[in-house]
Amino acid sequence: MKSTVNAPGVAPRPKSRRSSLMKAIGRRYDLYLMLLIPIVWYVVFQYGPMYGLQIAFKNFNPAKGILDSKWVGFEHFQRFFESYYFWRLLWNTVSINLFSLLFAFPIPIFLALLVNEIRNKAFSKMVQNITYIPHFISVVAMVGMLLLFLSPRGGPLNTLIQAFGGQPVRFLDLPGWFKTIFISSNIWQNMGWQSIIYIAALSGVNPQLYEAAKMDGASRLRRIWHVSLPGILPVIVILLILDVGHFMNVGFEKILLMQNNLNMESSDVISTFVYTTGILKGEFSYTAAIGMFNSVVNLMLLVLVNRFARKKAETSLW
Amino acid sequence: MKEQALKNRKSDEKLFDTVVNIIAALLVIVVLYPLIFIVSASFSDPAAVLNGEVVLLPKHFTLAAYENVFQNKQIWNGYGNSIVYTLVGTAINLIMTTLAAYPLSRPDLPGRGGIMFLITLTMFFSGGLIPTYLLVKSLGMVNTMWALIIPGAIATYNLIVMRTYFQSSIPWEIQEAALIDGCSNWKLLTHIILPLSKPILAVMVLFYAVGHWNSFFNALIYIRNKDMYPLQLVLREVLMVSQDDAVVSNVGLENKVLLAESIKYAVIIISSLPVLVLYPFVQKHFVKGVMIGSLKG
Amino acid sequence: MHNHRGKTIVITMIASSLALSGCNSSGGKKDADNAGTNGGVKTAGFPIVQDPIKLKMFTRTAPVNGPFADMPVFKDYEKMSNIQIEWTEAPTDGFAEKKNLMFASNELPDALYRSGLTPMEAVRYGSAGQLIPLEKLIDTYAPNLKKLMDTYPEIRTGITTPEGHIYAIPGIVTVNAARTDKRWINQAWLKKLNLQIPETTDELYEVLKAFREKDPTGSGKNDVIPMTARGGLAIVNQMAGSFGLDFQLGYNINLENDKVNIWMGSDRNKELLMYLNKLYSEKLLDQELFTQKEAQYLAKQGSGKTGFFFDQTNNPMLDTKVNDQYVGISPVKGPHGDRLQSNAAPVARDFGAFAITSENKYPEATMRWIDYFYSDEGSTLLRFGRQGENYELKDGIPYYTDAFLASGNQAKITPYAGGGAPHLISEKVASFINPPQVQEAQKKLDPFMPKVKYAAPMFDEQTAQKINTLRNDIDKYYDEQSTKFIVGALSFDKWGEFQSTLKKMKLDELQQLYQTTYDSLKKQK
Repeated sequence: MKSTVNAPGVAPRPKSRRSSLMKAIGRRYDLYLMLLIPIVWYVVFQYGPMYGLQIAFKNFNPAKGILDSKWVGFEHFQRFFESYYFWRLLWNTVSINLFSLLFAFPIPIFLALLVNEIRNKAFSKMVQNITYIPHFISVVAMVGMLLLFLSPRGGPLNTLIQAFGGQPVRFLDLPGWFKTIFISSNIWQNMGWQSIIYIAALSGVNPQLYEAAKMDGASRLRRIWHVSLPGILPVIVILLILDVGHFMNVGFEKILLMQNNLNMESSDVISTFVYTTGILKGEFSYTAAIGMFNSVVNLMLLVLVNRFARKKAETSLW
Repeated sequence: MKEQALKNRKSDEKLFDTVVNIIAALLVIVVLYPLIFIVSASFSDPAAVLNGEVVLLPKHFTLAAYENVFQNKQIWNGYGNSIVYTLVGTAINLIMTTLAAYPLSRPDLPGRGGIMFLITLTMFFSGGLIPTYLLVKSLGMVNTMWALIIPGAIATYNLIVMRTYFQSSIPWEIQEAALIDGCSNWKLLTHIILPLSKPILAVMVLFYAVGHWNSFFNALIYIRNKDMYPLQLVLREVLMVSQDDAVVSNVGLENKVLLAESIKYAVIIISSLPVLVLYPFVQKHFVKGVMIGSLKG
Repeated sequence: MHNHRGKTIVITMIASSLALSGCNSSGGKKDADNAGTNGGVKTAGFPIVQDPIKLKMFTRTAPVNGPFADMPVFKDYEKMSNIQIEWTEAPTDGFAEKKNLMFASNELPDALYRSGLTPMEAVRYGSAGQLIPLEKLIDTYAPNLKKLMDTYPEIRTGITTPEGHIYAIPGIVTVNAARTDKRWINQAWLKKLNLQIPETTDELYEVLKAFREKDPTGSGKNDVIPMTARGGLAIVNQMAGSFGLDFQLGYNINLENDKVNIWMGSDRNKELLMYLNKLYSEKLLDQELFTQKEAQYLAKQGSGKTGFFFDQTNNPMLDTKVNDQYVGISPVKGPHGDRLQSNAAPVARDFGAFAITSENKYPEATMRWIDYFYSDEGSTLLRFGRQGENYELKDGIPYYTDAFLASGNQAKITPYAGGGAPHLISEKVASFINPPQVQEAQKKLDPFMPKVKYAAPMFDEQTAQKINTLRNDIDKYYDEQSTKFIVGALSFDKWGEFQSTLKKMKLDELQQLYQTTYDSLKKQK
């Protein structure tokens, strides 16, 4: 990343900061003009709906509108915290994402390093291109594939189990399997895709560093450890932070499609609960409160991780 | 002695290469097998699939499933809709994202840090479904294609990727020189920056187009008219939604269900084809195009 | 939401009127003497309005339906009534989302048709002022509906809030047979295996076991499904009566000496679930029970591989080779001698089928418009379409013509296919859904129908909100745990835990709320 460079024509030491700032802005009015539409869009479509968040503290009556609905303070939050499902929802949300972070996050890094080590360039390209493919499958098709693949009737996995004399397993109906299936299918679908960014970063690592390590007699594994990994560490950290930024929301559509009454115990997460209770049962205020709780937890996590990363890895999102 | 060590190292290297190649080959198999299975199943007799006879290659080869998909008006209608939504949506995405990413990539733009912060914040904090719906409704976009396009006109993540590219791949010195030559910022963008940015534009097209093609949830919420359903919603119906609890007389229902089973595989393939076709054209730009960095600087 | 089917459709209070009494309500006759007008709306006779008006209606379309605007019923009725309907159609899949979001954004149509509003929604949107009270309009502009409500007082009590308002009108079913699922058993298999019709739960178990083990199809493969039911927990509703469990007040409630008893945590329910668990674990109960889709279920009915299942009609079996194989039987007697057909819907079967919103400028005309379908004449038009083209009369009863049935368009031309349409289903229009085979099956059930059936009462807004909050948690928990008990994912050692969790979720408070409501219902009478 480039550090700030002086703009053309700006005097190195301005007399008054303000007037030079105005000048700098004035000279680049057309840049602001470009930004205008996107900024209006952000204000309307991103910040606009935040105004509606106040229904979390109200009893939203659609006929009266957002403004004129009655304030009820933290009633909806309290109801959620006291709900039987609070801990289950929180645990499922946190654990699915935590396990994803533990298992799904490192694999693309591993894949990128692997691809980088393949000598045969044609094979390396082939591995890359093939592992990308699943990314293009839509969530709907992906879950459809899971249903078919894990089906007790004719699904290859169960065919295999039966070939070894086992009984077919109804994988998608068992809460114990849900998280495993969810995360491993995510890995299958996205590892190739997510490795792209690391492969790109690896190609930017200075070849002289490898040469130097080679001279020192470092084995290939050691070179990976001491040259490749440190080379892509900033990218890893940034992606980690971004992942944590979505910690509480990841996988909503897929989980929703995979859910059924039998696996609910481990598939019920905050975002799907908000959807089923809010939209399907019309509890708008209650679910707005739950959604808000979710966002706040998420934001706090993000800030924490960012701070931690800045201290420990000297890389951060901001 | 030294020679011995060198030899050792050589054989170590060889072992290492072998291990790397074996792991890579295994990964390729793991990724490919489910895909091959779906393809094979789509060409097989549904009864054979249900009995677990299809393992790798098609059994009792038939094109019946595809014939049925080709006769299904709903699927083709969805196909057409998805193409329109994807084309229009991606075009708007590209324009909007470029308009935002380029100015924000300029190191000489006062206030960009603050703007960037406010933009990034929206990645992590949003108003939620109901308020967004109320907004879209009040803009009169419900049950129109715009509800699927405008609220998602910019994906902040993509904006960051594009901005990073502008910052790191196009030397600031070139831009500076052009500006000193009296080139306006607009001209700079359209005549210098964009021609130099083909890799990132290709990547953005892919990101956004795949996103549009694969999305279903917004349509579920915003689109009422069945004729306007995108392919993914039709697909969802075919793959997992229950049929209606109709008190209906339906002739030969059992055949219909077997048939419904068999077209599932074919539909998955047909729906995934367009993006898979798009991919090789863009693929070569990836390594150059996708980069991400800190938001500061 | 098939698993709630049994619960939610039991809506009104059926006070011991389950006999097939005089159902031929003589609606549709236009009384000439009160043809007054109000805002251009005549209280009787057609057209309803002199100058044509246009109404916007929001409706649900099932996959089997064609576009509403093309249905002969609405085309013909538009000419007749001078009221043009502009339909906003939402497919069944995603309908609930769109309905609630429509209310949330307060952009309302003039009326909701086939809207499946829940009592909670009716109260919520009614007291918010988005739905208008209909009771006065019914008195003046809905003679057919009013007559039905006078004949069956339970309709009125079932749809009126404690404040005296009616926010939604139901689909009304006066044909007994259209309110409960028959119990269809494969008599061909019974004969082949030399078995008697099962009379008790134990005999049923033996029969199912024989079905499974003795290869009744003679295929040499182990491919029969001894027993199946609609996806989800419908099986619990079907078998509850054999364990003395009833569905009063539209919930899992037994009424004993005026005491409300929510039986979810009771020993009887444990016995029921254990019985179902036994059937399930021995593969006598369909292993796909909890994940199967409606289409799959219907297909099983006609597949010839099913031993015992539940459905209202024989329609899914029609035109299959196996139609004659099935015969309706009575509910089986349980270990404590209970033998109830507790899974029966009230006369007002489909709650919340039609409602008028505050946007509507012509509520009187709208009420008259919908009222026609509560007459035999209107219902015939709705269900059968055009005489000659779609149906013919035999002894004054409409039957689809063979030519039309052969076209396969039966479900396309009528909004009743797919369920939940606001209209009257009387003996007169039931030829298709109540053929002799179904009538016979119904006769087997009649003696075991509960004597008195109270269905879900309407609560005032505050109580409704409280009940809603409690039931959101409790029902979710109950559904999940029951499912797990049945499939064996949860051992019955955990029953105590199940009971104490229900208690923690304030089941007692819920029971008390129902008790209070029941007491005041009693007093009203």
